[in-house]
Parts: sequence; structure tokens; C-alpha cells
Amino acid sequence: MLSIFLNLIAALFFTGIVIRTKSLASGRKGPGILQPVRDVVRLFRKGAVYSETTSFIFQLAPTVYFASVVMALMVVPFGKSPGVLSFNGDFIFFAYVLALGKFFSIISALDTGSSFEGMGASREALYSMFAEPAFFILMGSLALLSGHTSFQEIFASLHIGSQISYALAALATFVLLMIAMIENSRMPIDDPKTHLELTMVHEVMILDNSGFDLGLILTAGYLKFALYGALIVNLFIGVIPYQYAIPAFFAIQFLMAVAIGLIESFMARFRMSHNPQFIVVLTSVSLLIFFGVLLILQKFV
Amino acid sequence: MDILGNAVMLNGTILFTFLAFIFILTMPQKIGFVITLFAILFTSLSSSWLAVQALLNHPIELSLQFGSFAGEVLLKIDGLSAWFILIINFTVLTGFFYGKGYLKKYEQSRNRISLHWIFFLFFHLSMLFVCMVQNGFAFLVVWEIMSLTSMLLVLFDHENPKTFKAALNYFVQMHIGVTFLTIGFIWVYHYSGSFSYDALNTYFQTNRNLWLFLLFFTGFGIKAGFIPFHSWLPHAHPAAPAHISGIMSGVMVKLGIYGILRMITFLKSDFLLLGEMVLTLSVLSGLYGILNAAVHRDFKRMLAYCTIENIGIIGIGIGIGLMGIGNNSPLMFYLGFGGALLHVLNHSLFKSLLFYSAGAIYQQTHTLNMENLGGLIKSMPKTGALFLVGALAIGGLPPFNGFVSEFLIYNGLIEGIHTSSISQIILYVLVLAGLSIIGGLSVLTFTKAFGTIFLGQPRTQLTHKPQEVSSIMLIPQYLIIAVMLSVALLPQFYMKIVGSQLSILHSMDAEPAILEGIGKTTANISFYFLLLTGIVAATWIARSLLMKKAYVNSGATWGCGYVAPNNRQQYTGKSFSKPLGKIFNALLIEKKEFEELKKGEIHPAGKSYISHYQDFFEYKLIKPSTDWLVQSANYFSFVQNGRIQSYVLYGIVFILALIILSILNIIS
Repeated sequence: MLSIFLNLIAALFFTGIVIRTKSLASGRKGPGILQPVRDVVRLFRKGAVYSETTSFIFQLAPTVYFASVVMALMVVPFGKSPGVLSFNGDFIFFAYVLALGKFFSIISALDTGSSFEGMGASREALYSMFAEPAFFILMGSLALLSGHTSFQEIFASLHIGSQISYALAALATFVLLMIAMIENSRMPIDDPKTHLELTMVHEVMILDNSGFDLGLILTAGYLKFALYGALIVNLFIGVIPYQYAIPAFFAIQFLMAVAIGLIESFMARFRMSHNPQFIVVLTSVSLLIFFGVLLILQKFV
Repeated sequence: MDILGNAVMLNGTILFTFLAFIFILTMPQKIGFVITLFAILFTSLSSSWLAVQALLNHPIELSLQFGSFAGEVLLKIDGLSAWFILIINFTVLTGFFYGKGYLKKYEQSRNRISLHWIFFLFFHLSMLFVCMVQNGFAFLVVWEIMSLTSMLLVLFDHENPKTFKAALNYFVQMHIGVTFLTIGFIWVYHYSGSFSYDALNTYFQTNRNLWLFLLFFTGFGIKAGFIPFHSWLPHAHPAAPAHISGIMSGVMVKLGIYGILRMITFLKSDFLLLGEMVLTLSVLSGLYGILNAAVHRDFKRMLAYCTIENIGIIGIGIGIGLMGIGNNSPLMFYLGFGGALLHVLNHSLFKSLLFYSAGAIYQQTHTLNMENLGGLIKSMPKTGALFLVGALAIGGLPPFNGFVSEFLIYNGLIEGIHTSSISQIILYVLVLAGLSIIGGLSVLTFTKAFGTIFLGQPRTQLTHKPQEVSSIMLIPQYLIIAVMLSVALLPQFYMKIVGSQLSILHSMDAEPAILEGIGKTTANISFYFLLLTGIVAATWIARSLLMKKAYVNSGATWGCGYVAPNNRQQYTGKSFSKPLGKIFNALLIEKKEFEELKKGEIHPAGKSYISHYQDFFEYKLIKPSTDWLVQSANYFSFVQNGRIQSYVLYGIVFILALIILSILNIIS
């Protein structure tokens, strides 16, 4: 239960910190850290405009998308304390329930009949497909290393001891951070601030959403950031007591938000055709982790 | 019920089928239909009753006399047969009612309809007997009847040359499969002098298991559609009427899986090696199937490729189960085979659902090309919702039944990772990655199909305005969804049935705690499904309450400032999957037919551009070899010279050869 509260708090600030970092890096003062939350609250009270082309799918999709992220949040543990749900193979459920949300956000984009949104949907489907094996190989390697099969047990029994395991933790952080960037459609895969529909991925898919639905989609985005941040935190905190773990949680989430802000400030988006290659590289990094785990377990003889 | 009653029931199914055959031919159409219905119901109910008996651990054994040639044939319904029999009966029943509605407009052409239902009855009966017979010879006979009747059912639209070609292709490939099976059974017969399954058992006990199993695996794999034996599926499924495609893809293909599982019951050694082979081939089948499904624009062909993918997933389960036997890990055994058997059920449900709703689209629009469609959800909302449920379930997405069986298979893989052998660990992790790619690609495939067919605006002007189909076509689909939801909400019940029958495959001494653990995990899944549905419902209610006061308006889709968009400018299915096709262009061969602008062509006339994807195995492996075969057959054309005298001469030479060979005691 603890993790969901912590994640909700982290989600409140996360996007704000990213935006603030970007403003500071570009020499502006920038909005307050809670501005994204204020935006969402405003959106929840607003009316909506629906395209005449759309059907009930378009209205239902944001709800399912949001619910899928909340459901995924429930299986994420926090150190010693398991998520609201914890069972063997829960990370499979995690990945598939997020895929359900993605399915609905894709068909909602196609429902508008806009060629731009179709293009964004096509890209989103392709990129998230390529990101799946990276996540599964990473989790499979961690399961192999720890001898367990649920998020909480895996993370609780990860001991960062030898030098190789430091290297593995660094690589795993990189993979999870990049998966977070892909899932949230941030740089270097997608530029949320671009102004040209042709170069967008996620933003173009929600062009026609407004009011409550848009608020839900944005909230789900904030939660997703905290979600992946929490996974990274879990790599490090293990079973240390709460008085250290909770500050560490917020510190790492904060660092991750700043890192994302800096990446977005100093990097340009990859060319669209390079994105799949980049995402496949993630899979090979995951494979590297896998071989590292085999090394640690002395399976190579 | 006693043995006599069971015999009466089984003989009754045969008798009623033949009676119905005579009645359909002689009686008026109305009465013929009633008789067909009666025969189907009797066959389904009586065989289901026997199957339920078998599942309650009262296996049924009977022997039928098949004359002096085949001798006594043992019929047996054990848990494995019973599971498949129940699946067959459910799908055939839904297919029958759906087919009644689907073929309504053909009712004037009486001969065609009568023949169709006669073949349908025999098809059903032969599928049931495939699961029952315990004798190689009898098995080949019923297997052959199944292949032939299904081919004749595919041929419903026989005036269409494409259908004819697809049926011929299917016919030939099935017989290549039968050849493998025949060699397998004769091999055992040669060794032990018996066609009965007991002979198989003794053969496997005393000989190397690998080769004979691979022989049977190839034979059954052609039916099941493992690569590279899959190329009949994408031709036969689009050609057949929708209910036949649904039954063929939903259950007939699974009888290949049944055959493989039946052979596994006899296996005595080589488990690890075979497990590794099956796992590798299965994950490749899955990837290949879904890759092709993602790019095709003929939506029934897309579903056919998707069947290959799902056979791959089932095969992964079987592979894990075999590895479980080899590693002596009961957990892997139960997760692997349990997941595979549950996926057999699940796939039969959502694949028939998808084919039925695809048939509804075809009936209303008369096109299989999804690029001609669009916006159908407004004119056919029920079919749209049914297709959506099928699409979510087949992608293995929660909260539907596909997730349950895929989850078990995933868990089996992760359980396998904890084994000690490094080669196995690497294999499991690669299969894990493969399975996750399959999952991701099926999201791409089905968002594309659903989005292109049902969402947006109609892309072309259809001659008839599509309307929602009749309720006789819809009700079977609702029934399928009801069963799908029961699997999703009560997976522990289904898993208990499956788990209690797995000892047929191999006797593993598992502690009951293992089964209980699996049961608990599956029970949890249904709770999470309910929770997810609850969150969706809560969010939806909050949304409705807040939106009540809000100002809601409607307008045009945002066109980036362009004010005259038309329906042809929508994103097409082809462009949706084009990036994927480009990345995997080594496997997905795109053939483009177009005429380039010639030099100095100042006033170009109308040009056309067609591109379509070709099956890698069909065009790179099968076609070159059959072409070569046809080429070399030309050299023997002198034999077929059309002169009666030569043919008589061949006969005489043959008889003389027989006489001389038997005098010399070379043949006896």
C-alpha cells in the first residue's frame, strides 16, 4: 500500500520538476512545480469537443488508458512493502495491463479518422512493441539473479555487492529510464514540445481529446513517470529500513526528473527512422545484463 | 451408464449422421434443416456427455468391429480426448447456427446448401472420432475423412477459381501430412505387427524416441500450421465461408495439437531434446505468424496468420511441458501443458468469434480488403464490439481469457529460468523475449485491423449500405463471449479440470501443493480482472458525473488547418504497418506491380500500382521446389501419350512383374 501513496505524491511533482529543469536550463524562470497538476484540475472541469467522426471508442479509451496505468501502479512494490497486488509473475501482468491501455489509446487515435493521428498511432504501436523484449529480458535476468518471480521478492532480494552488480544496476537503470522515455513519449524518441504534427508521436494521438478525457490522459502520463521512477528506486533500496528508504525514494525520483529535464534540454529527437534501431539497442543492453547475471551466478564454466 | 449405453450413443452418432444424410437429400429443405439440427444436437450432446464422464475420471472404452480389414478398433475417451471433444462440440454448434444465418442468401440453390450441410455433419463426426480412435489405421481413415470433408466445405464458393486453387492447395498439403503419419504408423506396424496405440507405446519403450516423434510431429504439424508447414492456412481460410473458417481455425487445426499431445503420452525418453526443438520451432512460428498477420490487408488472411501465431504460443506451452518432464520439474510440466491446453480452448473461442464477426463484415460489404472499409462501427455497432472483444482477447490483454493461458505459459518460462543448465536458461530467456514481441505485435496487428475496418470514415463507396447482421449470426457470438468471460473469471475451475487430466500425458509425482499454488495464482487473476473492470467503471462514473454539467460540442477532426480533407486521406492499414514491413523486409517480401513513367512520356495515361506481401516460405522454399518438380515431370510426359494401347501395355507389364516377383519370392 505504501508504494501507491508514495507514487501518487511523486507523480504530483514529477512533471513539474521536468518542466522547471527545462526552463532553468534554457535561461527562463518557468512555471511553478505544481502547474501540471493545476492544468489537469482545470481540464477536469472543462467541457469537451468531440469530432463528428468519432464513436464511443473515442470516449471510452481515455478511461481505460487511465485505469490501466492505475492498475499497473498497484503491482509496483516499495522495498520491503509489496504493492497492493503482489503475485508470482506480476511483472507480466504489469506489462500486459499497460499494453491494454496502449491498445485503447491507439484505437482512439484511429477513431478520429485523421491521417496525422493514424501516423502517431502507427509509431506508438511499433515503438512499444520493440520496447517489450527489453523489459522482459531485464525482468527475466533479475528473476534469474534473485531466484524469485514477483516484483517485490525480486527487488527485495537484490543485493548490490560485487562490482559486476554495480555495473548491472547502472545498466538496468539505463534500460528502465529509456523504457520510461519511450512509454511516456519523451526525448530522444519523441518530442512533446514539437509544433509540427508530422514529427509527433504521442502528442498527435491526443490532438482531438479535450476536457475531462485530456485531463485523464495527462494524469496517466504523470503517473507513468512515477511508476517507472519507482521501479528504478526499487533497484537500489532493497530491504533498507523505511526512514532511509523513503527519503531515498524521493531523492531518486527527483534526480530522475532532473535527468529527464536535462536530456530534453540538451538533446534533439532522433530521426524517426532511427528510433526502432535505438529501441532495439535497449534489448541488447538487456541481453548484456542477462549475460552479466550469468557471470555472477557462475553459469559460464 | 454402462458400456452398452455408451456403445448405443456412439453408434447413434454415426447412425443419425447417415440418416440425416439421406433425409437432407430426399426431403424438402425445411425438414432437411430440422433433421440436420437434430443430428448435430444428438451427436454433440451424446459425445459431450461421454466426454464429461471421462473428465470426471470415468474414461470410456469401447471396441467397434470394422470388418475383417481393420479388425477390432478400440475407441477410448480419456481426459485429453474429452477436452478436445467438448471444444469441438461447442465450436461446431456455434458455427452451425451462425452458418445458418450466414448462408441465408444461398438458400435458393438447394443442392449446394444440402451438400454443404451433409459435409458439415460428416466433418463434425470425423473430428470427434479423430479424438476417440486408438488405432493407427482407423485414425488415418477418420483423419482423411476430416481432411476431405473440410476441403469440400472450403469449396462452397466453387465457381471462384481462387477458392478452387486454395482448396487444391489444402488438399495436397493435407496429403503430404497424411503421408508422414502413414509412414509413422507403418513404421510401428512393421516393428510390432499392430496398428493399435498400444503398439506405439511398446515401440517408444524399446526404441529411440526422437525420429518417430519427429515424423509424427511433422505430419501433425502440417495440420496445426507450424512453420514451414503453414502455407495452406492463409489460402484456405479466406476462401472458406466464415463459419467453416472459424471451425477450421478454431478446432480442426487444434487436432494437429491433439495428435502431438497424443504422441507425447507415449514418449519415454528424449524429452529435453524434443522440448528444445518444439520450443524453438514454436517461438519462430509465433513470430513469423504475427509478423505476417500485421502486414496483410485481407482481414481473413490476417486471421489465418494469427492462427499460426497462436499455434506457436500453444507449442511454446507444449515445449515447456516437455522440458518440465525432462528436468523433472512438476511446476513447469503443469504450467506448460496446462497453459497449452487452456490456450487451445481460449484460441478456439476467440478465433471463431473473430472469424464469425469477420464473416459478418464480408456478408455486408462483400470485400475482404480492409482498405476498402472504415467507419463500420457506426452501421454495425454490435459486430464492432464483438470484434473488439475478440481482438483484445487474442492479444492476451487483461481482463480477457487470452491473458490467463499466456500468463501460465509465461510463468512456466520464468520457472524454467531457475533451472541449472545454461543452454536452457538462454533458450528460455530468448523465448521470453520472443513471446513478448508476439504480444506487442499482436497489439499492432489488431489495432490496425480494428481501426481500419471499424473506425474513422468509410474509405470507399460501398454498393450496399452495410447493416447490422441478423440475430441468428449474433447470438452464437454472444455465447462465445459468455464462455470467454467464464474462463476469465473462473480460471481456477478450468485449470482444475485441465490439471487433473495432465497425468495422462506423463505421470509426474507432483505434490498437491504445486497444483494448489497454480490454482491460487489463477484465482487471483480473476480478482485482478474484476478490480481492473472496477477501476474502469469508477472512472467512467466520475467522468459521467463531471461531464453532465460540462458543455459538450462536436466539430470536425483537427486537420492541421486544412479544411477540405476527404475520406481517402485517412491513414490506411497498409501505411499503419508499413514501418514494420520495412524493418523486417527480409522476411516480409513486398511485391510491387506498377508501370514506370517512360522517358519522353509527356501525356501519361492512367497508371496503376499494386503491392502485396508474399509468404517467405511459400515463395522462397516451396514454390521453387514445386516448380522444379513440375519441370522435371515434363521429361516423363512420353509415358502419358494418350494411346490406349500403351496404357494396356503398362497394365500387362505391371501384372507380369507382379507374377515374376512373386515366383522369385521377392514379394510375398
